[in-house]
Amino acid sequence: MLRRRRSEEANIPTSSMADIAFLLLIFFLVATVIDVDTGIGLTLPEYIPPEEQKQIEVPKDRMAAILINENSEVLLDGKPISIFQIKNTLKPRIISKISLPKNKKLIVSIKTDRKTVYNAYIQALDQVKLAFFEVRDEYSNGKFGKKFKDLNPEQQKEVKQAVPIIISLAEPEVVTK
Amino acid sequence: MKFEKKRASSSEEIPTASMPDIIFMLLLFFMVTTTMREVQVLVDYKLPNAKALEKIENKRLISYIWVGKGDRIQIDDSIVKVDQIREIMYKKRQELPNIIVSLRVDVGTDMGLVTDIQQELRKAYCLRINYSANVKV
Repeated sequence: MLRRRRSEEANIPTSSMADIAFLLLIFFLVATVIDVDTGIGLTLPEYIPPEEQKQIEVPKDRMAAILINENSEVLLDGKPISIFQIKNTLKPRIISKISLPKNKKLIVSIKTDRKTVYNAYIQALDQVKLAFFEVRDEYSNGKFGKKFKDLNPEQQKEVKQAVPIIISLAEPEVVTK
Repeated sequence: MKFEKKRASSSEEIPTASMPDIIFMLLLFFMVTTTMREVQVLVDYKLPNAKALEKIENKRLISYIWVGKGDRIQIDDSIVKVDQIREIMYKKRQELPNIIVSLRVDVGTDMGLVTDIQQELRKAYCLRINYSANVKV
């Protein structure tokens, strides 16, 4: 007596699938970082031992020497100045050197004391970078009618050549105790 | 007059069959766009604010050095001393030649320490650095 048993429809319950996926999603949200890293980029010079260091004379008008002391007071080329004036003081000097050859562009040198607060240094560096960036923007605006970041790589290269960012960190002085 | 409740003749269920697919898509999006949190920060630090910021495009090149209050320096998962930095960073640079070192330094740190760290980085040939900072509004 064979009777074919009508099989019931077999199905896997999928209603909890969404919950499982949600759990996974939440796990990844917690375990990962989304924030983009922003900061002030800088390339350090190669290390040269002190005995091999050579002193090279740089003409005075090519240099902008920034000195920050432990009370966050700033000297620019020997004159006291507030941190927030650095940008506007440097800008005309950078602009005046745009048409000069590569080896005559402005060098900004930043020197700090060992006791200077890090924040003051970053603020000063920020001002210097801002000055360069604004000059770059103005230059590319005048030449290509666009902001620096909207230019194509070749044009950017050209602007970079006209307005190179040269920041020199002064070699730290040896502390004698 | 007789009021009668109007009922739609169509079924009232929201189809949930595609819900898992949608969530999985979200999940995949997050998995692709983010990176895993790798280390636990052991130092207490507050980043400075600045305007002239650059974004670091390639997150996998970054190696962090934290400097927190009380001159505590952290690399990876451990607190290190200044003279250890050179060796650690040199090894890292061998694995990753174009490494970018992101310095996450507390606002109140003395520049002396930062300069020392920079000198060590120069000796280890890790020349691309980035002072981590928040956007100033």
